Amino acid sequence: MVRLSDLPDYEREHLLGKALQPMTPPYWVSPVKPIEAMRVALITTAGLHLRNAQGFGFTDASFRPIPSEMSSDALIMSHSSVNFDRTGFVEDVNLVFPIDRFRELVERNQIGSLADVHYSFMGAGHSPEAFEAAADQVAGLLKKDQVDAVFLTPV
Amino acid sequence: MTTGISLVRENAQVLQPPRSLWVSFPLGRPLGIPGDADFQHRVIQAGLNLLNARQGPLLEDFPEDISDVDFSSPPACPISFPAAGRNWQARLAQELSQLQAWYEIGLQRRQGRTLVGLSKSEIAEILVMLGADLDADRLPQDLIWFKAAIEDVKAFYIEALTAQPGNYDHKAVYSLLWEQTEFGAALRKFYEQLLAHDSLAEFARIVLPREAVQEIPLGTHSQGGGEA
Repeated sequence: MVRLSDLPDYEREHLLGKALQPMTPPYWVSPVKPIEAMRVALITTAGLHLRNAQGFGFTDASFRPIPSEMSSDALIMSHSSVNFDRTGFVEDVNLVFPIDRFRELVERNQIGSLADVHYSFMGAGHSPEAFEAAADQVAGLLKKDQVDAVFLTPV
Repeated sequence: MTTGISLVRENAQVLQPPRSLWVSFPLGRPLGIPGDADFQHRVIQAGLNLLNARQGPLLEDFPEDISDVDFSSPPACPISFPAAGRNWQARLAQELSQLQAWYEIGLQRRQGRTLVGLSKSEIAEILVMLGADLDADRLPQDLIWFKAAIEDVKAFYIEALTAQPGNYDHKAVYSLLWEQTEFGAALRKFYEQLLAHDSLAEFARIVLPREAVQEIPLGTHSQGGGEA
């Protein structure tokens, strides 16, 4: 449905402008335990946060924590871009941040556990390098939470 | 270790994250279909399976498309939009009065969940201030509040226009919003005003989506926004 070839020229050119260069250095970690034993965190770039947390700025390389134990309805979105659909997120938070689905995976023993805290960035306006400091900080927090794997969702 | 979803395959190919699942879904819908837990689980499982890989970078394509999903017919417009004439404040207030009941119905259907709340201002208050700016032909003074406020109003309109249950075609919802509402016309007017100032042109781009700018000639509006 959204293959670049299906999009208008202006949209295709805009999206391709975000493909800069490979992330370096190449980074790879092989699994040391089965997925059923992994502790998993979610990270979204959809600009989500708790209703009373500070919203994201127009360009903003910071992050917001999202506690695992919260109602998924507590999340709102302050992503500055107006160029993606929000009607689906209005209907179902899991369309963007699949927290209920991952809770179900824990209940079914398909993953080991969920992190205590998940994280949200707002992926607009900055090059990837601008997020390095915040990403390092989140990596440290994930280690402290003994997270094995992160599931990344864009918007 | 990481795995995840990519919405633009070409970019994932260049950036080369260690493990990535490309999905063909529209921007804003990385898990595919709202309210369809089984479908969302299939997407997640395909992404999680990449964690078993021992060599990468790995970019896989999710095999299912949602282009064949049958949407119900475009949303029936639940209100009569204001006639031309009168000032912006009056037209926006009239539109709000018609949408309020639908917003409440949508709120009830979604068990109280709403995306309204970024600006901490009431929708009625926001529309009064936006209308006053437009009637005075002046730019908004506080752009941070303005951005949060228009996102609140957009959420209010979307939730009202989709108050009835159904699998909506989001393009039809946005078409209704941009082309037939006074609020859509108001944002188009603000966009033009902001674009006319070099220092605010970048900000204009987070007011109105490219689609609305490109697909609908500026300065036009099908209903009451004759001043736009």
